Amino acid sequence: MGPVTEVPSAGERFNRLALEVFRYQLEANAVYGAFVRGRGIDPSEVHDWSEIPAVPTRAFKEIPLGYGGSRPVEAIFRTSGTSLGQGPRGVHQVRDLSLYRDSLFGAANRFVAPAFRDTMKNRDHKNNIRLLFITPSPTQLADSSLIFMFGEWMRVWDDGAGAFLADSGWRVRGDALKRAVEACTGRGTPVLLGGTAFSFAHLLDQIDESEIPLPPGSVIVETGGFKGRTQAVPRAELYAGLSRTFGLPLARIVNEYGMTELLSQFYEPVLLEGGPADPEERRHIGPPWVRTSVRDPISLAPARDGEVGILCHVDLANLDSVSAVLTEDLGYAVEDGFRIVGRAELAEARGCSLLAEQLVAAARPPIPT
Amino acid sequence: MANGPPTPPASREEARSLLRSLREAGDGLALRRSLDLAQVLGAAGSRLRDPADPLRIEAEEKVADEASVSRPMASEIIEGMAGGWEAQPLEQLLRTEFPDPAILDGFRPDGHGQEVRAFGGSLSFHIGSGNVPGVGATSMIRSLLVKCPVLLKPGQGDIALSCLFLRALTETDRMLGKAAAIRYWPAGQGGELEALAIAEADRVVAYGGNDLIAKLRSRLPPTTPLVAYHHRLSGGAVARETLGSIDEAAAVAREAARAIATFDQRGCVSPQVIWVEEGGPVRPVEWAELLSEGLESLSATLPPGKIGAGEAALLQQQVGTFEMQRAAGTGHRVFGRDLVQGRVFFDPGRFLANPLLATCRSVVVKPISDLSALSEVLRPASRVLQSFGLVAPEERRQALATSLAMLGVTRVTTFGRQPWPRAWWRHDGTEPLRALVNWVELESAD
Repeated sequence: MGPVTEVPSAGERFNRLALEVFRYQLEANAVYGAFVRGRGIDPSEVHDWSEIPAVPTRAFKEIPLGYGGSRPVEAIFRTSGTSLGQGPRGVHQVRDLSLYRDSLFGAANRFVAPAFRDTMKNRDHKNNIRLLFITPSPTQLADSSLIFMFGEWMRVWDDGAGAFLADSGWRVRGDALKRAVEACTGRGTPVLLGGTAFSFAHLLDQIDESEIPLPPGSVIVETGGFKGRTQAVPRAELYAGLSRTFGLPLARIVNEYGMTELLSQFYEPVLLEGGPADPEERRHIGPPWVRTSVRDPISLAPARDGEVGILCHVDLANLDSVSAVLTEDLGYAVEDGFRIVGRAELAEARGCSLLAEQLVAAARPPIPT
Repeated sequence: MANGPPTPPASREEARSLLRSLREAGDGLALRRSLDLAQVLGAAGSRLRDPADPLRIEAEEKVADEASVSRPMASEIIEGMAGGWEAQPLEQLLRTEFPDPAILDGFRPDGHGQEVRAFGGSLSFHIGSGNVPGVGATSMIRSLLVKCPVLLKPGQGDIALSCLFLRALTETDRMLGKAAAIRYWPAGQGGELEALAIAEADRVVAYGGNDLIAKLRSRLPPTTPLVAYHHRLSGGAVARETLGSIDEAAAVAREAARAIATFDQRGCVSPQVIWVEEGGPVRPVEWAELLSEGLESLSATLPPGKIGAGEAALLQQQVGTFEMQRAAGTGHRVFGRDLVQGRVFFDPGRFLANPLLATCRSVVVKPISDLSALSEVLRPASRVLQSFGLVAPEERRQALATSLAMLGVTRVTTFGRQPWPRAWWRHDGTEPLRALVNWVELESAD
């Protein structure tokens, strides 16, 4: 027998790459390097991806997190607001959009495209799927990483007649959606209907009890997002409403979990696995170049198995900013992914003091909706 | 209490009957002298101050558990709160607001040829919120002092202490105990009792955030007065003259640490942001570090309570963000070993420009070139300010207090006294007993 070359496992490969990216970022991003040193961490002692010091999402609001090179950035994405109030918006500078494109399609091809795989690229090299988004278009909202992603889906997947059906203020045109869906129904073209949870909730309110049944083979991609909004609808209630209104089984409604601060997305693998229907029983999985650890909220040490903690992602697609990102989301690990329990809130232990940050939020004009 | 909090009756008839029995107890109250009521209420309050009394021991256990504070903290809170429930401070409260307390007992000459009397009404409904223990009992006592029966819905973390005070009162004076009732329900689940109480109370007293108050206001009959105690922002200000040496500065920091640690920063009186004047021998950033040391040493004798995952997650965001800002050379610093003991966030900007979080035992320290500039800094917060711990030389206190008052601060105090306003304080700038009465004039027949 000849020499045996051990093939590194996916975990080992990720770890090696993550550490390589970490060391690159220490050099390329001077602030991040100083942050790591400020914590008294010797980078040469970091041997596991889960030990990489994570930057909180909120820091993206205060510090420009990009690489320090001389090439111009290709895009600047901004956050919409957070549960902490209407403070400054987070900024993610993206040097190389092709990496974001590869990343977003890498995940979406796996978790969303199975919904309409049979219809992809027929002999005429044309997809038989219509993309309808109840969001503003990339032209109207050039600084949203989510809208950029939808724009890319539109460019690559759509049959040519898809549309963005909200104006720049996120107001959804319910009548236009109805007409667009009816056009698909007539031709038997399945629809991919995408939008934020807030937009969907707003849409359901607007069209009241009326129904807009989607053609067979359709799918809804809901991207979460009540951030910074005062109104939030429980997810089970929202999904029941969507299922009823659009005549889709619950297992054809998929949640995408992403954020401006990450260039990779997580999905519920319901289209791959056919369920579960109940949103509470679902989990999120990401592509191989992002991994998530759950951290103890007090110590930030790895949480014990199954314990709720803070979700911390190491996203290698964030090559030119910072890969390790500490979120405000609480969840727990499951075998191949995680379940989100909720977003950090302050209500649980408040007394009668008004938080300075709420005060500042109250002093600001509201976000136009 | 043995089997959980007292819940509201399910049926409308039972709810009606509860409110009727409270009103009936009010008939007996009307016949008592207000000063005598202060004595009886004070006797009940004293039991909670007695470390050997079984009620006090039970209160410490339950308050620690219910409000997620440490046992020593629970003890300190009960001691501090019940300090205002004893006979002497209650009599002082009465006399502060009614120089002749008999004006609550019958018509008294008003000095202008006619007579006047203060009536507390036949039923009031008090609604607490949050988990600051003692707020409910204080509210109940105020109502009974003006002879008005009270239905109290305490805050979720204030059920035990409210109930134990009422038990002490009932054991002291059965008839007076019948003039108060406590029922707890989570928001929106008050059913018939809540609806009836809102419809029938002569006055509603509520503690809570703006959303809660606004919602409640919309449900009240237009003729029902609402006494609302909103959430407040309190702070601190330290003058450069008081930071003459490290020892002096450390002493100020220790007092501030205790004000922060008491209630684990949940009280409306808790200082969340402290401005420290530049130009003294000890710089504001150095004082922030001393404050952190003060919090750390205090955690041995007055351990902090539990921190919820959500609060911790948000605090971690702030810790990391401050560290990133420091790395970027902005001058931000974070002091303190961990979230539980409390972190001190030093923010070099003097304005409340960005959202900042001071919760659990964490606090924000900001430098300021001159404390007289506080008026400019605090202007956006003027409607929500309450207590300010002011450490300044005597010759500056009056002027600084005046400028704070003009901004809306209603209580200027020391860090040492900040957590414990006197029983007769003007709560949020109002007179808490006078807010609970109607004045009736008896004009001369001549």
